[in-house]
Amino acid sequence: MANRAAIVTGGSRGIGRAIVDRFIADGIEVLTCGRGKRPADLDARIAWVQADVAKTDDAEMIVRTAQDYFGTIGILVNNAGVQLEKTVATTTDEDWELVMGVNARGTFNMCRAALKDMEETGGVIVNIGSVSGVVSDPSMAVYNASKAFVHALTRSIAVDHGPKVRCNAVRPGWIATGMVDGAFALADDPAAAKADALQRHAMRRFGKPEDIANIVAWLVSDQAAFVTGQCFTSDGGLTAASPLQPGLF
Amino acid sequence: MGMLTDKVALVTGGRGGIGRAICSRFAREGAIVYAADLTEGGSLAGPTGDSSFVKLDVTSEEDAKATMARVAQECGKLDILVNAAGIEIEKTIEETSLADWNRIFSINVTGTFLSSKYALPLLRKSGGGSIINFGSYDGFIADPGLAAYCATKGAVHALTKAMACDHGPEGIRVNAICPGYVDTPMLKNFFRDVGDIETLDAAVRNVHPLRRYGTPDDVANLVNWLASDEARYASGQLWVLDGGLTAQVQQMRL
Repeated sequence: MANRAAIVTGGSRGIGRAIVDRFIADGIEVLTCGRGKRPADLDARIAWVQADVAKTDDAEMIVRTAQDYFGTIGILVNNAGVQLEKTVATTTDEDWELVMGVNARGTFNMCRAALKDMEETGGVIVNIGSVSGVVSDPSMAVYNASKAFVHALTRSIAVDHGPKVRCNAVRPGWIATGMVDGAFALADDPAAAKADALQRHAMRRFGKPEDIANIVAWLVSDQAAFVTGQCFTSDGGLTAASPLQPGLF
Repeated sequence: MGMLTDKVALVTGGRGGIGRAICSRFAREGAIVYAADLTEGGSLAGPTGDSSFVKLDVTSEEDAKATMARVAQECGKLDILVNAAGIEIEKTIEETSLADWNRIFSINVTGTFLSSKYALPLLRKSGGGSIINFGSYDGFIADPGLAAYCATKGAVHALTKAMACDHGPEGIRVNAICPGYVDTPMLKNFFRDVGDIETLDAAVRNVHPLRRYGTPDDVANLVNWLASDEARYASGQLWVLDGGLTAQVQQMRL
């Protein structure tokens, strides 16, 4: 790969953290960002900037800061995202601003800021979408829609900015983070709920952040040199099966 | 004035659960209807509407020719072909014998091919025409233990688009409808392993955003529209009709 410097948004925890750790292990220089302060346990080799991708000025500052550190930036991973558990009827203007601001406008802002140079120097963009942008999770209306935005933007960037820039998206399913255990804790019978959920995965496990880091690492590598404009699902088989599983009644 | 007045329609599997509903609806809309099936009684008792029975084994090329020859002789044209004949085999590929595999493909896929192939000259004589194939949501996502069935429906989806491309210039439209859970003998059979449909009724309904499963009349409503001139610009598409089922991620029981 010509360029070994990356920006990964939202690298403080979860999937983003797994991606930045993987990049470091692969010898890629990384700058990551978040709305809070630098996490104490973040690898010392990783550069951190406190910023909100929903803000145009912040997005441009993230790209400039990374260029100050590393020179040319060859990789952008748009991972920063927020989730909101509401239907359309209960979603407020503030909710919309938060979810669409980070997930949709944030992805757009970062792509626009990075493309200024990538159009000349070349580069690879990977956006984190979701299976929820293809099939709906209940009571997650604006989140689901924001991920569909990410999928469509991914195709447009690939079409408009090839051949210099490749752009793909990854659609994770259920990835085991603190949020998943929190969801099961709310169930009447947490053990039964977890067993039911596992049965709905052909791989009989939830995803790990490392599973997503693996496919991101492949997509940014030269092994994927002819891959652009696509959205790849990594969900342990969840969405390959019908939502109606009579064996689980 | 019905939506299908003076049109000639042939429905394969016309004496099955969904086929009967389609024949009845077509007849009410003013069409001349042929219900093609293996036997006059078909797989299910029930009203047939005003339709003429024609014996058709969809896997037989001779039957396909003879069926279309009869329609040619009696009507001189065909406006609508519905390929509704189909079977299901509840097995994984390991349990599926080559004979099982060949049988389900011969009915679900070869049957659609043969009926369509020999209907084309008659469809041309109508100055256009509409073919409606039966795909399934199982052509997109899988139900467990239905491997060969899922594969046949994926094949029907691809064949639908290919036929639409090849025969669109002659004004022949080709679409597939992809039902979800429809209350038919096939569905009841699918539930046999885990209980009967009555006891599972509430659970099945609750997984659907519309809180019910489909009826043969729901399917006939869409087939009728696709068959009619209202759908004159609709071609090459896969029409999922499932009460919203497959708009969702799997619904985990939290």
